[in-house]
Amino acid sequence: MQPCSPGNGRICEGARVSASEDQADVEKVLEGDISAFEAIVRRWQGPLINLAYRFCRDRGRAEEMAQEAFLRAFRALANWRKEAAFSTWLFRLATNLYRSELRRIPARTVSIADMDLRDPRASDGGLEQEDQNRAVRRAVFALPSKYREALILFYFHGMDIEAAARSLGLPEGTVKARLSRGRAILRGKLPQILTAQRLTEAR
Amino acid sequence: MREDDLEHVLSNEEDLLPSSGFTASVMDAVRRDASLSPSIPFPWKRALPGLIVAGLALMWVFVGIVELALKAGEAQPAPVQPTVLDPILRAMISPQMGWIALVLLSTIAFVRLALRPVSGKS
Repeated sequence: MQPCSPGNGRICEGARVSASEDQADVEKVLEGDISAFEAIVRRWQGPLINLAYRFCRDRGRAEEMAQEAFLRAFRALANWRKEAAFSTWLFRLATNLYRSELRRIPARTVSIADMDLRDPRASDGGLEQEDQNRAVRRAVFALPSKYREALILFYFHGMDIEAAARSLGLPEGTVKARLSRGRAILRGKLPQILTAQRLTEAR
Repeated sequence: MREDDLEHVLSNEEDLLPSSGFTASVMDAVRRDASLSPSIPFPWKRALPGLIVAGLALMWVFVGIVELALKAGEAQPAPVQPTVLDPILRAMISPQMGWIALVLLSTIAFVRLALRPVSGKS
């Protein structure tokens, strides 16, 4: 798993690199210096856009959802109680927003059984490693949302179980169970999908 | 595909870089939002007397109906089986109902008056 930092789009609950900067900027904003919010946006735009992208797989929509998340964070800044890190609060807010946005207007998905994994770039009749990786990611995106959300936060976004549970507002046991079930569905479905893909390309 | 492969693939996805105008766009939205006047809060101070009167009036109506129903039940040995509607109908033609109706109407007037600034009507 990649190391986590605000810069590379992954969250790490242990890393408190920007915690003091966040706190200082939040205090400035609350005192009326709106421009201090720009530093918060610059620090967290990567992670928030990437998180949104992993939920909707649409770059334009991901940026729109991330912008809305920042706007809501700005409005609710006074509600951040400093018991938890600013990033924890921000990501919980963003995760809730993304989930409700996708319930309102679902992303275009196909069920995991109906997936067409053909990639126009695969021309040698077999799946290269990158094609296979892409197939796995698309299979994750086609999972039922409750499993997909847990997998996105844990794997794609580098959160640990505790942070993912906080972001989803669920008990840790439930998140563990959903991760396990999500992995089981993927393990069960992927061989069939990859085999079907190979057969299609061999014709 | 093995468990390790699956975890490796899931954990190693490339990250998107924010588009160049993203920060500026967010800050524009934030400044616009900050410049808007805060929404008008519900006028609890104005509404409270009306709400209290409404609550009291509802209690009064309820107590009045119950009392009348009890009296009606006691007064009539009832050679004929009374229906459930009998006490209510009797209550409706009693003189006390005039007062109750007056209180209800004044309560509605109070509530409408209190809600007027929220609905934007002058």
